[in-house]
Amino acid sequence: MKKTFICLFSAVVALGSMVSAQEPQTGAPANLEKTPWLKGVEISPYPVDISPVIPLKIYAENGEAIPATLTEDVPLVVVADTAVFEADPPTEYKGQQIPNPQWVENAAISWFFIDWEKNKNHMASVSEPLAANQMVIIPTMPTGKGAITCHIARKMRYDLPEPGRKKSTFANSSGAKDVRVLDITPPLCGLEISVENGPSGACWPVENPPDKYPLPKQADVFLSGALFNAADQDVLIQGLELGNNMIVRPEQGALTVAADAKLTIRVIGGDNYKLDNSKLKFGLCNGAGGVPSPVGPENAELLDLSKLKLPEAPYLYLDATDVAGNQQVMFVPVKIK
Amino acid sequence: MKKITGFLMVLAVLFSFSVMITAEETTAPAADETAAAASGDETTAPSEESVLPDNADMTLGMKSEDNVMPATFRGGDPDSSLVHCLEDVYYEKHEHSLIYKEDAAELADGAKFESDPNITWDTKVKDADGNWKTLTSANTNMAADGGKFYAPGEYQIGNSGARQVGASSSGADNEAIGEGDDPTDDEEEAAGGDETDTALVDENGNTETETKTVTAQQSMGVQVHDVTSPDLWVAFQEGAGKVDMAATEQELKGKMMDKIISTLGRPFSTNADDYAEASYMFIDEGDETERDRVPFEKTARLSVAGALFNERGAPKFESKAVDSRTLDEETMTRQVHVAGGEKSALKGVFVRRNVPFIFAAMAVDNGDNRAKAGEVACRIEKADGTEVEKDGNSYLFRVPNFPRDNYEDQPEYFFVAKGSDKSGNLTTVRTPLYVVDIQASFEGGRNQ
Repeated sequence: MKKTFICLFSAVVALGSMVSAQEPQTGAPANLEKTPWLKGVEISPYPVDISPVIPLKIYAENGEAIPATLTEDVPLVVVADTAVFEADPPTEYKGQQIPNPQWVENAAISWFFIDWEKNKNHMASVSEPLAANQMVIIPTMPTGKGAITCHIARKMRYDLPEPGRKKSTFANSSGAKDVRVLDITPPLCGLEISVENGPSGACWPVENPPDKYPLPKQADVFLSGALFNAADQDVLIQGLELGNNMIVRPEQGALTVAADAKLTIRVIGGDNYKLDNSKLKFGLCNGAGGVPSPVGPENAELLDLSKLKLPEAPYLYLDATDVAGNQQVMFVPVKIK
Repeated sequence: MKKITGFLMVLAVLFSFSVMITAEETTAPAADETAAAASGDETTAPSEESVLPDNADMTLGMKSEDNVMPATFRGGDPDSSLVHCLEDVYYEKHEHSLIYKEDAAELADGAKFESDPNITWDTKVKDADGNWKTLTSANTNMAADGGKFYAPGEYQIGNSGARQVGASSSGADNEAIGEGDDPTDDEEEAAGGDETDTALVDENGNTETETKTVTAQQSMGVQVHDVTSPDLWVAFQEGAGKVDMAATEQELKGKMMDKIISTLGRPFSTNADDYAEASYMFIDEGDETERDRVPFEKTARLSVAGALFNERGAPKFESKAVDSRTLDEETMTRQVHVAGGEKSALKGVFVRRNVPFIFAAMAVDNGDNRAKAGEVACRIEKADGTEVEKDGNSYLFRVPNFPRDNYEDQPEYFFVAKGSDKSGNLTTVRTPLYVVDIQASFEGGRNQ
């Protein structure tokens, strides 16, 4: 009797094994410390029903390969080459036949630019009419590691074995093109100045229009604070070329300080990618334009004007360069009371 | 007998083991096959296991079955793959792919993930041309997501995943996310064109391979069902003298149509003085704090404006929340019913004896985002349901019937209206219509 029971138990175990072998594999539970993005996920990564994946390649508009390095702010028309736009869906996937497949919807398409350095993407969209498989990508932020991706889904239908029954599913097509984006925008640095026990002021550029191409880039310069006679309202100087010769003219605004003032100077702003801190210079200089001629110490956070022999036309200068070599040199007049 | 039992036992144990082994064999190669074929790329063949695929399979579904309606809900085709949901209900969706796993080995031999995945959830809707337009796109970098559908309709939920994968494990840790490359360092490589997975040799002499972005994508069609009753407006307008009531009625309908669409069903004014020309009854989903409630907590808002909703004829704007109830448990349709009467927010409609009047009713529905207005059937009927006909181009009552105690011999009248949407949700009104004595009600502040 006991042996008969053991036989029965073994048979039950065997049957259980057979059943579990037919269930979709769910895999081991996710380690949420290492894969935190799987928090709350209870679905298996292995599809049960047919949902064909169709290869997708991304090319330039002319059919050529997309260069590995793109230039910031330069539009690029990209094309997705995929059979998801063909007249009929695939008839087979992973060795499984898909009987009498038919498309039932238009394709739904998403293009992204992923900045892998930040793990953030930007969705691409255009208002101008383009073919369904085309998109204009304008990489507005430089990155050393990025990717253009295209994701397409299209609903299809195929015959089930039972006569008259049709099953719907999605055919999916996605692909990526890894690229870098070269920085062509000079830094947008400014200066914050304060007088010991006295007023303060700041000057800084803002790229305007943003992401302008073709070059040159342009910027507006703002002067604010009592030291710039702009305590109530900022002074706006429009349309300077953003580059190595940004000169604020004395009639547009000036830093007004006493001859014996002690200035505390701090650099504000930065670059849209990476500033080369080793090349950052600021201080007082003689005249504006070209390579600054420093008066007194360079990069001094505290500048005692009484200890300097001030030139006839003193200027504050700021010379900033990013790691791509884009340079910003800005001159702001200094008026001695 | 013992021998037979022993033989059976041995046979059963052996069979059990063989089936267990078979089970392991069937699942493991299935995973490998999935990985090998994950790309759908003809360059990925079993003999080239080290070649990284371009893309991978993905699964996607609603997480909780609690709120998801059956595939046959409201006549749904179970083979359509559409997921049936209700508007204003919170749903959680989740997805999974080989590119989200801890280990990249199932993608290709020696493969190693070089970044966290980049995950984006899209919601798309179909436009009039059948093209899918993106409604929302959220780069959450999480494989589970939640949210509500605030308007009925057909949606497509898409999940776009990508992850950087290196083909060689020795080059796996060459750079952490966030450190980045200096674009200027790579100009020479850049000049080489699109070849980004070139093998390099690092300073230790190890072969390292640049990373490649591998993608995955899956979609899910979602039919979101309307469980909100339509917004219903009724306007009553009196006429006097030689006013062309037929023309007045058309004008009234035209005005209502414009206003109900522009205000998305909400009353166009809360100032009683703005209702001197016509009195309005509004039944709508309510203000921003009341709209889009979960189905079982849905309410509606009844607002009455003008002089015809009290026996004194005093212009008023009054508003009150009213209940919404389930009309049909199976189809989850709902009904808002306003029953007028002494204890109701709507006491009744009070028209003057010997003054002709007209009325019209319009409805908008959230099923089309309240983009179109439709005329609603409405009428005056007696207690037995008999319809009261117009007297020419308008309604006209010559004998008062209010207060009821004084006019028990006079018939009771009711105003009834019924608006329905395509899903079968209803908004209905049945309220007494009283004919008051003109002098007493408007000059004396009482009826007799």
